[in-house]
Amino acid sequence: MKTSYMKLRGSQYFRQRLLLSTLSSTPILVEDIRSEFTSPGLRPYEVSLLRLLEKISDDCTVEINDTGTKLRYKPGVLIGGKSVVHDCGLSRSIGYFLEPLIVLGLFGKRALCIRLKGITNDSKDPSVDTFRTTTLHILKHFGVSLDGLELKIESRGAAPLGGGEVVLVVPIVPSSLTATTWIDEGMVKRIRGVTFSTRVSPQFGNRMVFAARGVFNRLLPDVHIFTDHRSGQSGGRSPGYGISVVAETTTGCLISADMAVSHPKTEIDALMNFEEKSELMSPEDVGTQVASILLEEIEGGGVIDSSHQGLLFLLCALCPPDVSKVRVGKLTPYSIGTLRNIRDFLGVKFVIKPEPTTNTVILKCVGCGLKNMSRKFS
Amino acid sequence: MATAAGEQHHKAHRAPQSGASSKNSSSKKKQGTSSDGKQQNPKAFAFSSSVKAKRLQSRAVEKEQRRLHFPTIDHSIGEPAPYVVVVHGPPKVGKSLLIKCLVKHFTKQNLLEVRGPITVVSGKQRRLQFVECPNDINGMIDTAKFADLVLLLIDGSYGFEMETFEFLNILQVHGFPKVMGVLTHLDKFEDVKKLRKTKQRLKHRFWTEIKEGAKLFYLSGLIHGKYPKREIHNLARFISVMKHHPLSWRAVHPYLLVDRFEDVTPSERLHSNKKCDRNIILYGYLRGCNMKRAAKVHIAGVGDFSLAGLTSLTDPCPLPSAAKKKGLRDKEKLFYAPMSGVGDLLYDKDAVYIDVNDHFVQYSKVDGENGTSVRNGKEPDVGESLVKILQTTRYSIDEKLDKSFIDLFNVKPLNSSNDANVSHDKTTVRGEITSNNCYGQEHIDPIDGESFKASDKIEKMNMTDEIELEDSDEENDYHDEDDQQILFNDDQEAEFHNGRMRRKAISNFEDLEVSEEDEEDNQLTLSSESSGGSGEDTDSEGGNDSKWKKSLIARARMRQNTNLMQLVYDQSSSNPATTGRVTEGSNSEDSDDEEFFIPKNEWDKRIIQKPDYDDINIEDCSKLVPSLLKDWSSEGLISVIRDRFVTGDWSKAARRGEVGDAEEDGEALYGDFEDLETGKVFKNQSVDDAKGDDVKEMEDPEAEERRLKKLALRAKFDAQYDESEISDEEDDQTKGKKFASGSANASGYFDKLKEEMELRKQTNISELNQLDEATRVEVEGFRTGTYMRLEVHNVPFELVEHFDPHHPILVGGIGIGEDNVGYMQARLKRHRWHKKVLKTRDPIIVSIGWRRYQTIPIYGVEDQNGRHRMLKYTPEHMHCFAMFWGPLAPPSAGIIAVQNLSNNQAAFRVTATGVVLEFNHAARMVKKIKLVGYPCKIFKKTALIKDMFTSDLEIARFEGAAVRTVSGIRGQVKKAAKAEIGNRSKASGANIKEGIARCTFEDRILMSDIVFLRAWTRVDIPQFFNPVTTSLQPRDQQWNGMKSVAELRRENNIPIPYDKDSAYKPIERLPRKFNPLVIPQKLQADLPFASKPKNKLAQKRPLLEKRRAVVMEPHERKVHAIVQHLKLIKNEKMRKRQLKEQVKKKEYEAMKAKTEQVSKKRNREERRDRYRVQEKQKRRTKRRVGEA
Repeated sequence: MKTSYMKLRGSQYFRQRLLLSTLSSTPILVEDIRSEFTSPGLRPYEVSLLRLLEKISDDCTVEINDTGTKLRYKPGVLIGGKSVVHDCGLSRSIGYFLEPLIVLGLFGKRALCIRLKGITNDSKDPSVDTFRTTTLHILKHFGVSLDGLELKIESRGAAPLGGGEVVLVVPIVPSSLTATTWIDEGMVKRIRGVTFSTRVSPQFGNRMVFAARGVFNRLLPDVHIFTDHRSGQSGGRSPGYGISVVAETTTGCLISADMAVSHPKTEIDALMNFEEKSELMSPEDVGTQVASILLEEIEGGGVIDSSHQGLLFLLCALCPPDVSKVRVGKLTPYSIGTLRNIRDFLGVKFVIKPEPTTNTVILKCVGCGLKNMSRKFS
Repeated sequence: MATAAGEQHHKAHRAPQSGASSKNSSSKKKQGTSSDGKQQNPKAFAFSSSVKAKRLQSRAVEKEQRRLHFPTIDHSIGEPAPYVVVVHGPPKVGKSLLIKCLVKHFTKQNLLEVRGPITVVSGKQRRLQFVECPNDINGMIDTAKFADLVLLLIDGSYGFEMETFEFLNILQVHGFPKVMGVLTHLDKFEDVKKLRKTKQRLKHRFWTEIKEGAKLFYLSGLIHGKYPKREIHNLARFISVMKHHPLSWRAVHPYLLVDRFEDVTPSERLHSNKKCDRNIILYGYLRGCNMKRAAKVHIAGVGDFSLAGLTSLTDPCPLPSAAKKKGLRDKEKLFYAPMSGVGDLLYDKDAVYIDVNDHFVQYSKVDGENGTSVRNGKEPDVGESLVKILQTTRYSIDEKLDKSFIDLFNVKPLNSSNDANVSHDKTTVRGEITSNNCYGQEHIDPIDGESFKASDKIEKMNMTDEIELEDSDEENDYHDEDDQQILFNDDQEAEFHNGRMRRKAISNFEDLEVSEEDEEDNQLTLSSESSGGSGEDTDSEGGNDSKWKKSLIARARMRQNTNLMQLVYDQSSSNPATTGRVTEGSNSEDSDDEEFFIPKNEWDKRIIQKPDYDDINIEDCSKLVPSLLKDWSSEGLISVIRDRFVTGDWSKAARRGEVGDAEEDGEALYGDFEDLETGKVFKNQSVDDAKGDDVKEMEDPEAEERRLKKLALRAKFDAQYDESEISDEEDDQTKGKKFASGSANASGYFDKLKEEMELRKQTNISELNQLDEATRVEVEGFRTGTYMRLEVHNVPFELVEHFDPHHPILVGGIGIGEDNVGYMQARLKRHRWHKKVLKTRDPIIVSIGWRRYQTIPIYGVEDQNGRHRMLKYTPEHMHCFAMFWGPLAPPSAGIIAVQNLSNNQAAFRVTATGVVLEFNHAARMVKKIKLVGYPCKIFKKTALIKDMFTSDLEIARFEGAAVRTVSGIRGQVKKAAKAEIGNRSKASGANIKEGIARCTFEDRILMSDIVFLRAWTRVDIPQFFNPVTTSLQPRDQQWNGMKSVAELRRENNIPIPYDKDSAYKPIERLPRKFNPLVIPQKLQADLPFASKPKNKLAQKRPLLEKRRAVVMEPHERKVHAIVQHLKLIKNEKMRKRQLKEQVKKKEYEAMKAKTEQVSKKRNREERRDRYRVQEKQKRRTKRRVGEA
């Protein structure tokens, strides 16, 4: 049988395309990947993601042309595995890899237990703290028990040099997820959070906490932000600090925001020279900014924050053919892209209905009925 | 349906007051009860022992649990598709006759020939589709995949035949539908006793095959060439009350049984090339699960195709409208069998075709070919020649129109707004071959004349009219029947094609024969003409008559709802990254008036979304970093979100959390026209629910939730009630008990699960019914039970050429990932009736899911350490693994394997059955390999081994592998030996022998040792599969696939290769000669004396003591004799004494046994007395305690 490839263009939604291609076992052919750029082709982190996919799946084929502007990906069977180790590189943080991995792990042959090395916190991708406190809990609504689900932060690593290490454990779903009706956002009853600081003064954490609490305390007394200062081996290789806060509502919804500050890549030399370091955002500013981001998310409404919309839609679309109903705030461009990708790969269309009074959007869909096909029948 | 069932009043049972049956029933009752109405001995069935009671209870619970199955959610909403009743049996058993009789019973009409599926309305809630199972194994496999109920016809005079058992096996593998046996040919028996015995025997055999108590019908003989009316009535009754449970494979795959088939290839293409790929249209009821537009399908016996078009049509054989009445009226006893040529009216998307018998028509085409015979000597007139010119056209009217484009209003050519829609206009001028036309329309009725036939036809026409009328009554009352009659009289357009005439009826009003899609198109054209491009694009229900209802605001409101969806989904046309699907028309129409009616929040969203659309290389980042943060320290901002915290106003927040709150507000503002509309639309789909939904939508969500729960509970109760009813039918004896235990178990986990599922289903229904029709179809696909029209392009022409309506066409939807190919691992067992074991690499034909294909399996077993070891042959009576290459089927799909497809084979054709375990692309089947080598040089513990490997490269591959000698000395392969080491290689000079390995052992080995290397090597599984395309060849021809090696040898007369070394020979083992042990002289000198070898020569003569004889003296001899005598006497005495003792012992034991018995008896009596006293005492104390 000849394989027919789904033709796509550009590097946009690279992770989602690979993820959906693997789940729906549709081979894809991506063309014109940054073909007009001065440095064309796939970025190191994208190549790293492809390597990761090869590690956890059986007989998938990846072909990249010489310039890296064309990719041919034919998915294999997801295997999972016990002791998989992957070095994520330093161009993107671990959060970039965790997002597709958590969905892929659910539909494998065996439970996935993977050790990822690289940058744990940066401002571009969701930090591992947010992932642990919020993202894993989304799966709970789709019938995945939280017992087997785990993210352990062994050591932290901030941006330019990394050195962090996390262990992700994802159980497989026995047959399929379960559809959810998740529209009650509730009221925020408590705010929790955690700061991290590596290779800086341990006082930085407290300063961030103080600043964030200053904003929150006018609204809510129940605010607890923990500090996690890492030193030595578990502190990674470069200085950095950041904060991740989660608001929990009365109905158990989690709305999160995070931020991390570290030296950008170009300043590695400067770092080596131990000269006057460039100005980083002060911990106080980080605290207040995170607090305002969180408040903005809360204002936006919805059962999850804006960065998790894509994942939520994806999980809804992967459910058995029942109606799932979720409420989110404003749709982000990324989640709109997700909706389109879901339509293209899984043939699932959402009914999107805005609610003018609350400025939220209610999405409904009938899942595509994906079953865990790679699981062994005994 | 539930409501209808609830309203229906069953007539209460009235016991017979007089006659034989009344006596019977009364006497039966009396047997169990005494005269005063009480049971005679109530204690007889009470528990006497607690242990026994416990045991009985546990057994009852166990039985109860075994009865339970994991509940499956039934996703089907609305009217179910007709149930498929497959009539199967060996040839000449009376299958077609049975179908004819049943059709006659249900519809009161005579069927001349059974061809293809026949749909019949059997009751107010049920339709049936009768299909005759073809007589070849491929047809049997296909029919088993769509059968809901199987009538197994068995020739009673002959007994069971192989086909029946084969079919049962196929059924079991592909999900076991309901099966009923029917015994025919019972009039062949003359002896009543023999008949009874045969019935009994066949019944029990049938039971072992299916289950104890399976229903077997007896059709005794024929009356006027038909089965007796009474028996058919009984059978029909059984069929129409039968319950059908969803089967696991079918519940998750959409499928249709094609009941109408058309070839719509443009005639120009056919003219140019007869063997071009065809475009076909398949019609049938959608079953299984919902089907989406983008679905891929597998046509059984042909291959996989993606759909070029998928539309729903009006039901050709609808259920009667739910009015309160008993039974069906004659008008409602419809039946629909286009392949059998009875429904002469064919409804297409945009046209109605009336089939006219051949002899009513004069063929102009035929005229052209051999015209002289028909009209001799006459000149062809002008009209005729014109028609002929038309017939030989090269281009279709479409193409011509396309070429000569006339621009009237300076607008773009209109396209249909529905993206996946087929090109509807193509259908107007196409050449069609319906099945009826292909296979003639010869209703040769020996009795009736032509005139009768014509009137009959008109009758049928009228009948179908009326049905349609009833449907449309609700919507438009002003159309009366006269209009429709006009339709058939006036507006006709003759269409000549392939020498046949079809008259196409063009109607003035759309509702009769136009499906929704076309309504939409019509509407689109209308609106575009009047207002110059302000068409509605998403709502299909907006007919002409309903337009006035919509106020401008309501329309704006509609658009707002759909706008966000459009923003998300329709943008992709401008987005170059994905395939553009949406037509330009809708976009341009939107943009012109959207500027005016955009809510504020909507506008914001658009602004957010505006950037990045054109960039195909945007950063892949799920986090949206806000560019501008608000300053949350200001009091005004905080007050905005104050109510989102527990410290704020709870009542406000509670209101915010509710569903549909806002929607309702909005709706109240804009008026509720939509609701009325949707209510109307959904009336067709689910009559009972829709109205209630819409009315109650206004109420608060809690009430909604309550209502859902109530509905779920009711459905659950219905299900339970039905279930108990079934069990009652199954076995009357345990009726009471089962019912009781069922209700006792009611609060268990099982029921909770069921309730949950029912609740989910009700939520689904209510959520989906809120949507308008077009969106709903897009979101969930077409619902099961709708009559579908599938357009498939580029189908091999053989399918059309060799189409035979006797062989049903199955179209199955392909799930996610099932169109890929790969290695599959299955658990397989040879069928015990198949004569031979199966050989690895012999091709077999397997049927998995919808597909049938030939593949080459490798068999194997799993060793204890998890290794998959290849087997050359399947085990005799055991399951084994089979690995093969083919289109992937999900785990737990059943497999049936066949080796021989031929019909005239006497033996059992089903070779093996099994189940798919998993699929992994990397096949891991291994077989053992044993490398043998001989030492060529031995150092201390190292040896050079020759003949094990052929090259140094090979040795490199095996470095570190374990080796062993025959004597059990273990070792390891080290490296390839250097060529110089070997003595011989030096001598021979030029050709240095490669492949000598250096191995080390735990001990020094001998030159005579043989060295083994045991290893496992991967067996590659052939990447071969060959779809069994039986539909692409004449049906009587046998399909030829890959032949097995044995078959090829037999055909070409090639002997089986004989390897001399493989033959077993008697092993000759020479006695091994060991050299004597030689101890060096020096060592001997050092040894202690004991260990020193004693160098004594062996004595030739025996020693003196052994050699000499002893002679006794006379005295001595006497003494010796006396001693011997004494010994004899003593022995005799001892023997006698022993005998006596034995006798004594026996006597003693007998006596002892007697006394023991006596004492035991006494003891027992004593004990009984004691217990009695104790019991009394206990009772007394208890009573005392009770009193106290």
